Amino acid sequence: MILNLKLLEYSLSSLWRRKEKNLALVSVYALVIATLGSVLLLTHALKTEALMTLTAAPEIVVQRTLGGRHELIPIAYARTISEFPGVGRVTPRVWGYYYDSLVKANLTLIGIEGYHEQLELLEGRFPQAPDECVIGAGVADAFGPQIGDFLVLEDSSKRRSEFRVSGIFRSASNLLTNDLVVVQEAALREFFAMPAELATDLTVQVYNSREVGTIAKKISYLLPDSRPITRDELLHTYDSLFNWRSGMMLAVFVSALMAFLILAWDRATGISAEERREIGILKALGWETSHVLGAKLREALLLSLTAFMAGLLLAWWHVFVLGAPLLMPLLKGWSVLFPEFDLPPVVDLYQLAVLGCVTIIPYLACTLIPAWKAASSDPDDVMRG
Amino acid sequence: MILHPGILALLFSSTLILLLLLIAGGVALRIVRHWNSASGSATQLQLERQTWLVATLLKYVIGFQIITLFLLLFTLDEIHPLFVGAMCATGSLNANLVGWLVLLIKIGLVFAGAMWLALNYLDQRTEDTPLVRMKYLLLLLLIPLVALDLWLQWEYFSGLRPQMITSCCGSLFSAEGEGVISTLAGLPVKQGVPRFFAVVVLYAVLLLANLRWRAVVLRNLLFVAAVLLFFASLAALVSFLSLYIYQLPSHQCPFDMLQGHYYYIGYPIYLGLFMATLFALLPGLCRPLATTNSLQQELERIEPVWLRLALFGLMLFLVSSCWQMVFGPLQLLGS
Amino acid sequence: MTLAIDHISSRPLIRVDEVSKIYHQGKPAEVRALQNISLEIFAGEVVALSGPSGSGKSTLLSLIGCMSRPTQGTIYLQERRVSRLPEAFLARIRRETYGFVFQQYHLLRDVSVLDNLLFPLYPAAMPMKTMRERALVLLETFSLTDKEKTKVRRLSGGEQQRVALARALMADPPIIIADEPTAHLDAELTAELLTMLTELHAEGRTIIIATHDPVVHQSSLISRRVALRHGQLADAENSRGGQ
Ligand SMILES: Nc1ncnc2c1ncn2[C@@H]1O[C@H](COP(=O)(O)OP(=O)(O)OP(=O)(O)O)[C@@H](O)[C@H]1O
Ligand SMILES: [Mg+2]
Repeated sequence: MILNLKLLEYSLSSLWRRKEKNLALVSVYALVIATLGSVLLLTHALKTEALMTLTAAPEIVVQRTLGGRHELIPIAYARTISEFPGVGRVTPRVWGYYYDSLVKANLTLIGIEGYHEQLELLEGRFPQAPDECVIGAGVADAFGPQIGDFLVLEDSSKRRSEFRVSGIFRSASNLLTNDLVVVQEAALREFFAMPAELATDLTVQVYNSREVGTIAKKISYLLPDSRPITRDELLHTYDSLFNWRSGMMLAVFVSALMAFLILAWDRATGISAEERREIGILKALGWETSHVLGAKLREALLLSLTAFMAGLLLAWWHVFVLGAPLLMPLLKGWSVLFPEFDLPPVVDLYQLAVLGCVTIIPYLACTLIPAWKAASSDPDDVMRG
Repeated sequence: MILHPGILALLFSSTLILLLLLIAGGVALRIVRHWNSASGSATQLQLERQTWLVATLLKYVIGFQIITLFLLLFTLDEIHPLFVGAMCATGSLNANLVGWLVLLIKIGLVFAGAMWLALNYLDQRTEDTPLVRMKYLLLLLLIPLVALDLWLQWEYFSGLRPQMITSCCGSLFSAEGEGVISTLAGLPVKQGVPRFFAVVVLYAVLLLANLRWRAVVLRNLLFVAAVLLFFASLAALVSFLSLYIYQLPSHQCPFDMLQGHYYYIGYPIYLGLFMATLFALLPGLCRPLATTNSLQQELERIEPVWLRLALFGLMLFLVSSCWQMVFGPLQLLGS
Repeated sequence: MTLAIDHISSRPLIRVDEVSKIYHQGKPAEVRALQNISLEIFAGEVVALSGPSGSGKSTLLSLIGCMSRPTQGTIYLQERRVSRLPEAFLARIRRETYGFVFQQYHLLRDVSVLDNLLFPLYPAAMPMKTMRERALVLLETFSLTDKEKTKVRRLSGGEQQRVALARALMADPPIIIADEPTAHLDAELTAELLTMLTELHAEGRTIIIATHDPVVHQSSLISRRVALRHGQLADAENSRGGQ
């Protein structure tokens, strides 16, 4: 116990005496950790946010497939489904994507009928006339209109449609509304030239969550061309999508880490002549190989823990304060409409454990052999200058 | 294969561990071939210094192995939402049966490594280091184990697919399930409780006897009792202790107790069990090896320490695992 | 380990038996630094090793001081065979039994005087407080109290030499080994060192000095002179210890 403390004190003193060199190392190391940490924190935050969004989603969404592709679904299906016991409201939805070649952005256009309670308005009101629309904050930023201005879109036959912006969205989750344009359903049908008896998909409300699976099976049995997607399935897909993305990122950054480790190795093997001399003297005067080794390894541990803390703080700041400006475009790929994105600041122990595992373990492993080399010098070298 | 950061971290660290062990193995091979403690040659001196490298490498390997064991459990817990029917880590393990093997081999490795370190400690405390050759031969045996660990992890994780359908602890450990685990765990509480405590009492009595007397027979008996205790405790944990810990009549997961919402109670439980098992195994294990005077002296000195640590481990385990059984509101045994 | 230093026993404190040290054995660059040396040193003696440069003085000191192990032969320290002990045991003997003073002092240059005394003893089981107290007493003895926090690289040669001697005494060792301690000292400082060594001898310590400084050699402090030539003892009768 005493020995441990004394060796620790020696390590601290030794680190302090070479502070410039160690500071440089810690900065590079912390930067690597910050990069990796940003990826992990960001994906975790995005995942949390996506899950938050999906908990508000309907229990089942029914699509129709034709030749393996998504097709418009007859509204008549809604009546069939709503007659199943246990099913609440069945709502046909009209929505679609719109690509604007000028801004180079994908928008999601949704048609609504009546009041939509899930979404909280930032300002303004829901569309009350066919030429009004409500847009997400991202759309507002990309296209520039404010309330009262016009949003100009080209419809299916390349005709220009003008919508007056009556409101801009705010939501508990930005992800849901960021690229959204909401117009009245009839107006959207006209815009997409969609027949009145068809809808994009149906949402099904199920009273008892235990029955979701059974009802989904029933739907696909009775309406063979339909594809029911349960909320749980969506959660799985989202989960694996996010894991996949962060996994890829991690793989990329582990290679960066490797580069850093080679650097660390280089530094550690190049133990300075002065340090070597010091170790030689201590060994001659009664330090054992294991003591020197212990002190050197404590140094490595202290260094990596410091760098870990610093890197983590940096990552936190980058992701949650700055909004991850360096990673956003890489990670979210599917849309460029995410300039401003309020991430919920969540960090869990698991993320820290993973980060620690991929950064601290390899560093310690890399410093071990050089530390041993330094520790196993010959004590009687001291006798000769 | 699921590209989850935790999975990548696990595979990465396991590869690193194997690498470290391979280095240690290379040195060990040299030591086994050229060791000659009577020689004053430069080679011998170099070999002696390399023993420190190997010992430190091994310490790291064991440390990293323990960390990855926990990371594995956390990752299993983290990825369970990807599988249909999984509600905790048990569900993820069931998604691909290699999972249980991975867990088993990781636990085995932690034990094996700790024993090696104990042996090394004993040997390095003597002036004549009589165990050198054997130690390093044993070390070489660890390499295939670690390689197997890495390979099995790869098999397990590459076999995972999102939305796989799996069964969870409720069905695996319940009486209706099939196979050894569920037969064990499904034992009615009425039979399970007395059996578990019988083993505990047997172990405790032997431990105390060992502290009092030095007979080799006692050491060997304690060795057997420790093995018994380990498996009996695991069975008790899944069959009835977990029910008390979670205060739920059907949740039997042995991993959830490591999570924050159960106040991390799993850590003292498993640490205690590990200590109680390891330190009771060591005396029985080392006795036959103590062929020289110097080793015997060292062993005599360290044995009481080990036994006391085992006793402490047992208390830690019992207190942390049975606390809720005694004081919690859940009652399984009708009075 | 405690060695009896208060009486001169009939058994040697250190016995070097037929010892050879060969560097790079079996290679073309083989150096036979010592050949078949036998030597006995008794408690309370002050032994001077002399000989031309390269004759093996430092090598012999490092063998006696448990810094290295002989290629052949045996060394006993108070009847204990130390020549084949593992390095960890040798290190322990070094820090508990020997006080070393080197030719170049070998102090840690970027470290304060106090830490120079403390660091080498960190592995010892001694509590920090006791160590610190002992260091302060020694600094007082060598009139270095005001330099306690100064880095060694800022000290004068004479001060460095005193720090080196204080460091050698930290563990209160029964045996002092000094390799050319006066090589960098002028006449005045040499005399000062000899006075201090005399005091240490008076406290009952055994002292072994390697030197070719005639001043040290002719000093009345020296109780026995051993000469080395080409790694061998020049006059064999002196190896037995004149009681
Ligand atoms: N590590 C080594 N490797 C090879 N040769 C060595 C080594 N150490 C010492 N020698 C050789 O051993 C011989 C004895 O060296 P040693 O240092 O003992 O001499 P010395 O009597 O102390 O000389 P000096 O008075 O110059 O200090 C020398 O020839 C030296 O070159
Ligand atoms: Mg010399």
